[in-house]
Amino acid sequence: MPDGRLKLYDEIANAVLELDEERTKALSHEVLKRGYDAWEAVEQGLILGVNRAGKLFDEEEYFVPELLIAADAMYAGLAILRPHIKEQFTGHTRRVVIGVVQGDTHDIGKNLVRIMLEVAGFEVHDLGRDVPPRKFVDRAVEVKADIIALSTLMTTTMERMGEVIGILEDENLRNRFKVIVGGSPLSQQFADRIGADGYAPKAAQAVQLAKRLSGLVNAA
Amino acid sequence: MSAAALEIRDELTSLERVGLALQYKKPDRVPAAPLVCGASRRVLGYSYDRWSQDPKIAVASLLAAQELIGFDGFLTLVDLSVEAEDFGQEVIFPERSTALSNFDNPFIATADDYSKVKPVDPHNSRRMSAVIEIVRGPVEAKGKEVPTMGFVYGPLGVLSQIRGHAELFKDITRHPDRVLEAVHTINDVLVEYALAQVQAGAHAIVLDPLYSLASILKKSTWVKFEAEIFKSVADAVRDAGVPVIVHNCGGGVYFDAVLEHINPIAISHAYPAHGSADWEEHAANWAKKVVTIGVSDPAKTGHEFTQADVLKDCRHQIETFKIAEGGFILSSGCEYPPNGNLLSARTMVQAAKLYGRY
Repeated sequence: MPDGRLKLYDEIANAVLELDEERTKALSHEVLKRGYDAWEAVEQGLILGVNRAGKLFDEEEYFVPELLIAADAMYAGLAILRPHIKEQFTGHTRRVVIGVVQGDTHDIGKNLVRIMLEVAGFEVHDLGRDVPPRKFVDRAVEVKADIIALSTLMTTTMERMGEVIGILEDENLRNRFKVIVGGSPLSQQFADRIGADGYAPKAAQAVQLAKRLSGLVNAA
Repeated sequence: MSAAALEIRDELTSLERVGLALQYKKPDRVPAAPLVCGASRRVLGYSYDRWSQDPKIAVASLLAAQELIGFDGFLTLVDLSVEAEDFGQEVIFPERSTALSNFDNPFIATADDYSKVKPVDPHNSRRMSAVIEIVRGPVEAKGKEVPTMGFVYGPLGVLSQIRGHAELFKDITRHPDRVLEAVHTINDVLVEYALAQVQAGAHAIVLDPLYSLASILKKSTWVKFEAEIFKSVADAVRDAGVPVIVHNCGGGVYFDAVLEHINPIAISHAYPAHGSADWEEHAANWAKKVVTIGVSDPAKTGHEFTQADVLKDCRHQIETFKIAEGGFILSSGCEYPPNGNLLSARTMVQAAKLYGRY
């Protein structure tokens, strides 16, 4: 790959890492102007930048504000590059429907998982917060999702997760989707009790769980 | 088990017991104060929306819950939307769940809206005035026997309830001056709100600086955007002769910064402090520096554990915090699950009677 191309992708990664949305947008336009491959720029620029931000988050150099702004920069660049990505290079073959269950509006954790899933190559359908159980099921059917990911931070809304699984069972849809759950008050014990397929205590582990359940990595 | 525990007679009142624990003096036994707040509504069968908005119902429910469970302290936490609503935020009141801000209609919709945050009078506002009355209720009914702890959510937390958490966190970086101005405005109101709870008879005030967490904000960011400002609420409460307690149910609390800036007599928490790998390490690092209130996992206790599990778990905590030499109050690390098993809260108290004798 020519040095100029690599240099530009690296500049994009640094712009994301440095939380500079305007520079990320300008450099993304530059990719198109020079006729470089849009997917390469996403993968080796935008995603690399967010991954670097995530590493700093793990090391407590970055915190939630920095990670959210880095993600905003990534999404701004993605909005420019996405229309120019050739479909066969996106690799978005696994779909996740994600949201915060009804009665809860704490969405920081859900947003972090969404970002990490997208960076990992999943096609994510984010239903937002305070989402009724029925809506998860309807959207999962509509988009032919592989995984339904449910989040909550409150004990009062934990049981809504079980209601989603109940609907899937009542309508003979349970085998079509893997259901994963996450959020501060949850535990593996809770996930087992409601019949979820998996539980992840941290955002990064949610991505590994989603990969495993959707067959992207071995179960071991 | 429970029959034996019920036969164990306490020698002190809850007020005496908690008062001694807060001074690192060993009372008759470890105090037990699971944070039964919204869960109390179920004792008398009220819906959550009525419990949240009618102080008479809340007081009657808290008193009935104390009779049933026998906990050693009232906490007048209603929910985290109380202050936000009085600043103008629309709030949703579900029938069977905690009230919450409607973030589809945030009072601060854009960064330009921070200037919309104006001072309000807690005595004449709808929700905060209700909480003041909720404080007054248990104090008048049982104030000589059971302590009542008022509750004030930190200014950054309140702001997150009227802006949205994610947007606030981004604004801290993008528009720091606007955020700080609103935090100051809110904090000035919180000083009056805390003092109103003191005047209503609260034995202590619990301050909740929720974002003093390594899992959310850099320490210096929290100090700049909340600690240095919220400190004035703590100082005002102390100046009024009432102790300050901090509550934070998030992961990785900056104990050092909380002690430096808020200087509480006790910290109520759900996870080991930032820098402590587990409870044993936490107890070794902090149990003698500040009184511990906790540390039961509320979701497990209220929703997953059998009664035998609760006893075993509480016994382990009591053993772990023996190092505190009396400065330990057994509690749930966060609000006791409003829809959780009330029997498990009662079992926590029984565990303190069985295993917490000094």
